[in-house]
Amino acid sequence: MDDMAGTPGDIYDIDELLGAYALDAVDDDERDRVDDYLAVNPRAQAEVQAHREVATMLAFTGMDAPDDLWGRIAGEIGEQAPPPGPELAKVMSFDEHPRRRGMAAAAPWIVSAAAAAVIGFVAIGLVADRADAPNEPIASAFETAAADRDSVTTVLVSDASEASAEAVIDQDGHGFVVAQDLPTLPDGQTYQLWGVVDDGQVISLGIFGPNPELETFTVEGPVSALAITIEEFPGVVSDGNPEGAFVGTF
Amino acid sequence: MQRTDDVRREYTEASDAALVVSIGRYQQAALAEAYRRHAGACFGLAKRLLNDHSRAEEIVQEVFVRLWNEPNRYDPERGTLRSFLLAHTHGRSVDLIRADASRRNREEKEARQQAVGGYDISHEVWDLALAGHVREAMETLQPGEREAIELAYFGGLTYKEAAERLGEPEGTVKSRIRSGLKRLRVELVQAGVSMGAD
Repeated sequence: MDDMAGTPGDIYDIDELLGAYALDAVDDDERDRVDDYLAVNPRAQAEVQAHREVATMLAFTGMDAPDDLWGRIAGEIGEQAPPPGPELAKVMSFDEHPRRRGMAAAAPWIVSAAAAAVIGFVAIGLVADRADAPNEPIASAFETAAADRDSVTTVLVSDASEASAEAVIDQDGHGFVVAQDLPTLPDGQTYQLWGVVDDGQVISLGIFGPNPELETFTVEGPVSALAITIEEFPGVVSDGNPEGAFVGTF
Repeated sequence: MQRTDDVRREYTEASDAALVVSIGRYQQAALAEAYRRHAGACFGLAKRLLNDHSRAEEIVQEVFVRLWNEPNRYDPERGTLRSFLLAHTHGRSVDLIRADASRRNREEKEARQQAVGGYDISHEVWDLALAGHVREAMETLQPGEREAIELAYFGGLTYKEAAERLGEPEGTVKSRIRSGLKRLRVELVQAGVSMGAD
């Protein structure tokens, strides 16, 4: 891990770079540092993806490409392409993408803890009155998600703590965790969010730092449970720590 | 001929992810459909950044040839195909801008073209509606956020260069870009713009 992302202050600094990084507005050294950070931080990956989606909208102009450009492209790839025929088909697997580095083998304790958790769905609206959440735009998006009847919500609790966190995932997979009640962790530790997906696999969904507030994440497809674990900085790629974990089921 | 039409129709109705899988199998018609959907946006962005029609064409050609040669670089889990193609378009354009000679040419052209102005956002109703939502969302930003994003994204500047241009601390501009993008996303979602969907 790069030395820029070793302490809470460093993580704050590098998090602040994510917008500029998404717009190609960082220098080469900073880009390398962010790349290293993203490799182990799915939350930051999701944030960069979200920023790029916004940039996509900014870029949209309704302009047409020049008429003759496709002809030039077709000419160039025509020279490179193999003769047609199924025996020459290039088989592409999405399963080998680097993105899946964040996907761990099933962590049985999370799955079983989720199964054992006596947590019902909380009524939508219970978590919707967090007007004092720290980041106003995110708080607004959270309120929208929490008020949406198609969103799902849960409360994450731990056997080792009186504190709890509340989570909302909207129908588009945008997730929010109201985590400011979780105790502040000592230096060198961070909260990490995990999700149990359809096939029982456990995916790291983000690093929250030692003092989380209203945090966001993104999921693609159904999630049956969430867990927040306590890890050493900067978090782990797999095998989250079960001790003191907060778990909630959908 | 009938089969060709059937293939074309099949791709017209395919998702972007399905198109990329077909591109991976050397189906040129799939690349043509991806081009039909997204080349205009890529060209518009490159032209706006570079102020150079020919170089914008070169960038778009490079982006689509690269998609043909390396379709597995696109991961549907990480965003839409348009976002992927535009990110590549932007990155390559910025590479050009940051070469000193390119920057000089561009600034000279900017100076000449500012008097002409205008940027084609016409054509389809949906396009206009989206452009309108984007414009309105931009107007909700704090002036400092808007300036920082415009200089970074459409100006091709690093945040440090943007800070120098604006006479603001680097950290301030860095934070404004991030907060502005978050605010834009919320505004666009609230305006009903679908984010991240094919």
